Amino acid sequence: MPERSLTRREVLTAVAAAGVVSAWLPRAAVAQGSLANLAPEEPVDKTVQRLFGARPIRDGASIINLDLPLIAEDGGNEAMSVEVKSPMTPQSYVKAIYILSDKNPRPLNAKFILTPGSGQAYVATSLRLADTGDVRAVAEMQDGTLFMVKRTVRVVVAGCAV
Amino acid sequence: MRGVSALGEVKVRAPGSVARGSVARARALIIHPNERVERKEGKPVDRNYRFVNRVVVSYAGRDIAEFETSTSIGENPSFGFAFRVNEPGTLKVTFFDTHGGRFEGAAEVKLG
Repeated sequence: MPERSLTRREVLTAVAAAGVVSAWLPRAAVAQGSLANLAPEEPVDKTVQRLFGARPIRDGASIINLDLPLIAEDGGNEAMSVEVKSPMTPQSYVKAIYILSDKNPRPLNAKFILTPGSGQAYVATSLRLADTGDVRAVAEMQDGTLFMVKRTVRVVVAGCAV
Repeated sequence: MRGVSALGEVKVRAPGSVARGSVARARALIIHPNERVERKEGKPVDRNYRFVNRVVVSYAGRDIAEFETSTSIGENPSFGFAFRVNEPGTLKVTFFDTHGGRFEGAAEVKLG
């Protein structure tokens, strides 16, 4: 095989490729889905305290509509939606909606961050529910005021480990 | 819907035309296992679970909502949400997962 030295172009290409790889590796190496990076397993009261500290949480029954079936035939995929009656203007809007399931090992299911551009404080998704218990929706207004509603869901077939 | 769906395929459903200044609702779905945490003898097994942990919604080039999500969302996660239409534009939904995946879907919205 004829021997030859690397051209300048080859060297530069190799160096550039190494740079790309090293810039890419540390990020890819982070196991974002490992247990250490998940929310902790804890009772729901602890989650509420972790999220909101000692801030008062008001009864949201008059402004939050949490819609989900009273009986979950399939705890692995239970449709739910939340709508908060509130203006969505820069002066007054719902800045976040939290969904918590009391009986899931990690009770915080999702946090929906909204803006006035959302137009309405409405979100919907499907939940995995580990067991019969309350599902809560917490609405956080732009001034930090918190409102909460709960609904008990009877789970027939559990969503297993969640 | 028929056909083979691949991990990361995103569908965004929104009304094709909306009156200026009104609020519309849309739904975005991704084909994704959204893995749940396995347990052995009651203890969670530690590995890099693959699930959608962030969803960003933008309309007409501006971010309007962001969802922080978890293993408690079902397989093939779908999200419904609202958006205000002051101009025609692209409704874009980007899903990020814990394995570095980034998956995008979009729908065009006209004024009508």
